[in-house]
Amino acid sequence: MSSRQGLARSPLRLVSGKDPVSARFGDQLIAVLPRLRRFARGLSGSITDADDLVQAACERALARHHQFQEGTRFDSWMFRIVQTIWIDQVRSRDVRKEDGDIAEDRLGSDEPVRRVEARLALDEVRRALDRLPPDQRAALLLVTVEGLSYKEAAEVVQVPVGTIMSRLARARIALQLQLEGDRGGRRSKEDAAAQ
Amino acid sequence: MQQRSDDLLVAYLDGELEMAQRREVETWLDTDPAVRQRMAALAESAHLLRLALDEALHEPVPDRLIAAARGETAPPQAGAQVLPFHRRLGEQIVKPRSWRVGLPVAASLLGVLVGGGVAYLGVDKLALNGAAGKQAVLETTAANNLWLDNAAGYFKLVVSAGDNLPIDVPATGDPREALQKISQSLPQKIQLPKLEPWGLSFRGARLVVEEGRPAAALVYTSDKKEIGPLALIIGSSKQPDISPTFDRRQDVNLLYWRHQGRAYALVGQADIGYLWGIANDVAWQLDAV
Repeated sequence: MSSRQGLARSPLRLVSGKDPVSARFGDQLIAVLPRLRRFARGLSGSITDADDLVQAACERALARHHQFQEGTRFDSWMFRIVQTIWIDQVRSRDVRKEDGDIAEDRLGSDEPVRRVEARLALDEVRRALDRLPPDQRAALLLVTVEGLSYKEAAEVVQVPVGTIMSRLARARIALQLQLEGDRGGRRSKEDAAAQ
Repeated sequence: MQQRSDDLLVAYLDGELEMAQRREVETWLDTDPAVRQRMAALAESAHLLRLALDEALHEPVPDRLIAAARGETAPPQAGAQVLPFHRRLGEQIVKPRSWRVGLPVAASLLGVLVGGGVAYLGVDKLALNGAAGKQAVLETTAANNLWLDNAAGYFKLVVSAGDNLPIDVPATGDPREALQKISQSLPQKIQLPKLEPWGLSFRGARLVVEEGRPAAALVYTSDKKEIGPLALIIGSSKQPDISPTFDRRQDVNLLYWRHQGRAYALVGQADIGYLWGIANDVAWQLDAV
């Protein structure tokens, strides 16, 4: 005997009377959720805030699904919604985090030392990202992490391509300098401890 | 001047320059070691950034987000006061510290979502199209029963075989060679999804039958007991697309879906939460969703 369970086209959906367009839309949304979470995590610097952001974006997207133009990139449309909500939050309240929050979120006490070291190194990157101005952070995430072209990223944040280009350059240079600074600082501490 | 050179270097790395500008940057790179060093540092920091954020792709998606994507959470009222999300939703803050926390939640959500156990793509057709539709659905269901049973049976062979895995092409050396060999017997070439972040190692491939057509079963093993061995079956299909659908046969879990003429099935004894996360990863890597 088998128990068949439809994740996407379940009896719940039929009973709730959702039309096939909504069903397809929901499927598209689910498919893009991991990338939305990554994007939101990069923007907000917090796992929990990022998931809240994605949840709000899903709700807004469903409420405005008629505004999505078939034939255009669904992921870009969703990135724009996430980014818009996040910018609203940045403007309405101080959402900047204290350094180290992500490390607390992510570090488990039972991890092997080498893995902890690797995580700490990546936490440095996340902290460096978190210190960038919001507009540079968004440009960096859209192009460098999500792989959008400059034109697509410009459409998401609704600025000219040249602005994206200069924001990206500033962000990449700042990120690199911060990482070099963090590494330098860590080396100095290690040297001091060794002496 | 420095700003312009930084703009150009970064745009060069991103593949966004016209030919003339690319040549300009390449001339700098050929002639100036400092520029080469700067370029290498920029590339490295970009790589680290991607690495730092990639874990979000390999985690199970929290149940509340899947519910939100399906429209099963209440949307905010127009003009409502904007509060922190967790307060608005009346939820506790759940920090997905690890798989051990996230998976049971994901699994329980899926259990709720799937409900009464009769859902299949054909169900709505059944209601709409009368006897002819009913017959088509029955035929499709029968075909599915057969290959899903076969997939579960094959997976049980994998489990019981221990180190002597029942595979036609072992992944010794370059795994791409195993893929090439198995692809020769298939109507379409297949790609190998990288599942190392899940602790899964590709061990080889076997030719199987999926929906009455030849398909490749890619066999992965893992030291993680909670994931265990896993088979990813990829074949071609003439059936319409379906979203990931969970099934359980012979004590084996299956998550299968179809996308643009391809049929996919993840088969294993891993929890549905793991299968769901891995399926997301596979779908993303293979552009299969």
